[in-house]
Amino acid sequence: MFKKLAIALGIASLAAVGTVSADSIKIGFNAPLTGFAAADGNSALKGAELAVQQVNSAGGIHGQMLELVVYDDQASPKEAAPLAVKLITKDEVVAGISGSYSGSTRAAATIFQESATPYISAYAVHPDITRAGPFVFRTSFVGDVQGRAGAKLIGEVLGKKRVALITLNNDFGKSLAAGFKEKAAAFGIEITGEYDYGIKDREFGPIVSKVKSDAPDAIYASGYFFTAGPLVSQIRAAGIEVPIIGQEGYDGQKFIEIAGPASEGVLITTSLNRDSTDATTRAFIDGFQAATGNAADMVAASAHTAVLVMSEALKKAGGTDKDALRQAIAETSLTAATGNISFNALGEVQKDVQVQVVRDGSWHFHSIISDAVLLAPPAE
Amino acid sequence: MLALDLLIQGLVQGSIYALIALGLTLVYGLLRILHVAHAALFTLGGYLGVLVTNATGSFLLAILVAMVTVGVTGMAVYRFAYRPLLGRSPLVALIASIGLFIASEELFRIVFGAYGLSYVDPPLQQRVQLFGDISLSVARIMVVVLAVVLLTVLGWLSVATRTGVAWRASVSDPPIAQAFGIDIERVRYLNFFVGSALAGAAGVMVALLNNLVEPTMGAVPSYKALAIIVLGGLGSVRGTLVAALSLGIIEAFGTIYIGNYLDRDAIAFAFLIVVLMIRPHGLLARG
Repeated sequence: MFKKLAIALGIASLAAVGTVSADSIKIGFNAPLTGFAAADGNSALKGAELAVQQVNSAGGIHGQMLELVVYDDQASPKEAAPLAVKLITKDEVVAGISGSYSGSTRAAATIFQESATPYISAYAVHPDITRAGPFVFRTSFVGDVQGRAGAKLIGEVLGKKRVALITLNNDFGKSLAAGFKEKAAAFGIEITGEYDYGIKDREFGPIVSKVKSDAPDAIYASGYFFTAGPLVSQIRAAGIEVPIIGQEGYDGQKFIEIAGPASEGVLITTSLNRDSTDATTRAFIDGFQAATGNAADMVAASAHTAVLVMSEALKKAGGTDKDALRQAIAETSLTAATGNISFNALGEVQKDVQVQVVRDGSWHFHSIISDAVLLAPPAE
Repeated sequence: MLALDLLIQGLVQGSIYALIALGLTLVYGLLRILHVAHAALFTLGGYLGVLVTNATGSFLLAILVAMVTVGVTGMAVYRFAYRPLLGRSPLVALIASIGLFIASEELFRIVFGAYGLSYVDPPLQQRVQLFGDISLSVARIMVVVLAVVLLTVLGWLSVATRTGVAWRASVSDPPIAQAFGIDIERVRYLNFFVGSALAGAAGVMVALLNNLVEPTMGAVPSYKALAIIVLGGLGSVRGTLVAALSLGIIEAFGTIYIGNYLDRDAIAFAFLIVVLMIRPHGLLARG
């Protein structure tokens, strides 16, 4: 019955679009392939494509092949909204995945929710994304959760109590700082000063001078590899030797390339453990290296995870009915490249935080923060 | 001590702004065009600096190659983008310039990749103790030294040589200069070469400070340099230099003391607005 329906739908979409084979199940994928976030968008796309290829070569979804319908959203809400409409109405995807940042993901999430089409955000951090409604899920941490993990890492694991905050003034950095400050006192941390910077800044001379005069025991700095790389190298160039703690925005080989020797010893909270021995994680890390020639990073791992969650749910739902698919995603219990995935009532992922450290020019396991209470995502 | 440190950081940033904005103000003086694509030449300089240094190991060679190549590219921009539009409204050239700038960002991304490039072994990273506990990397000191040397040489050339005099005359009053028999076309090419070469040098130094060049690295200079030349009183070389240094210093202190309320760009534009309210023709304007 379901198969017939799927075939009928397939034929209908074939008639409408005229390019896609009746055998494939289409999943929409929006990511910034051009513009300032193009590096992350392209990496996410490669991670997603790898997952699709792995699912398909293992027999697909009950014999049907997965197919990604990919659009460039330039990490911009005004691009993402019409693309979401197009994915749902013209391409007739059964579900969507965001390989994009928060602004564009929020815009698309609302539209997917309105048309009752499941949508998974792979690595966008804004808390409101899943609040769009029950059809929207997230396989990565919200910023606050990672911020709380950062406070525990610095205050308890490292035992550093005087901390300077350098905060990227967008939703990502602000939610990290909020989570950090929320739990700082609980771990005995005193904040010596908080300094904001903008996403376009690469030159941190004044902030570095001020942090140096504050003389903290550790620095908690939010950012992406393209801001964190210059920041960390400028902090070290000024002769500041205290530990620097970042987050998943640093995660990737490019950060190490930019910061060079200054990156040694930098710690991050993230969701990909490079030294993992888990079979799914290894298949991703080694498969990504083989397919792209680049070392795996967090965004690729997150997009890979989101596709796997979707494909497992499609198998379980036994067809492409959107309500059944939504239900199947909500019941996910799966080990993927970014950890053991299950969702709470809001569609937020519940999993451990990985701490990675730069050693000899690459990311390695440092510790794991496993604290279900501290790391509980928002539930409403 | 912190204040002195911030002042130095401001001067470093101001020197970069000066190198970038000077070419822009010269183009405005000569052609009355807002040359937004100037920032693309700055980016090109950054890429050449990294590519040549990584290929040859010589940073000095990289600066020279970047300055000459970017200078020649600047001349080509004049020849192929602006010259055909000279008879039209300056708005037409402005739109062409914006188009060129956007296209160049994507071109950098297609040719060199979205992730940007870094120096494999960044030069000039040694630290120098200045006074007390203030220390600076050689790279930062080099930024100021390079700006001072290049601008001094340029200043000297513009007063001590015939070409320099012709150039200054053309920037301050093109029609009169032409009436006196100055080959204004030659001056324009020279102007684009020099202004672009300075932006190229700035690109190399910024790439070194950040150890990163990326397709979008011209985005901030593209509009901030415009703010600087407005602050300096459009077309005024001295005004531009004063504006560039002031802005660098204002941003350095602003980032620390009001950065949590206004980001760096907002501080820059707030400063611009305040100055224009008090002195509508720029910092150094008379009356």
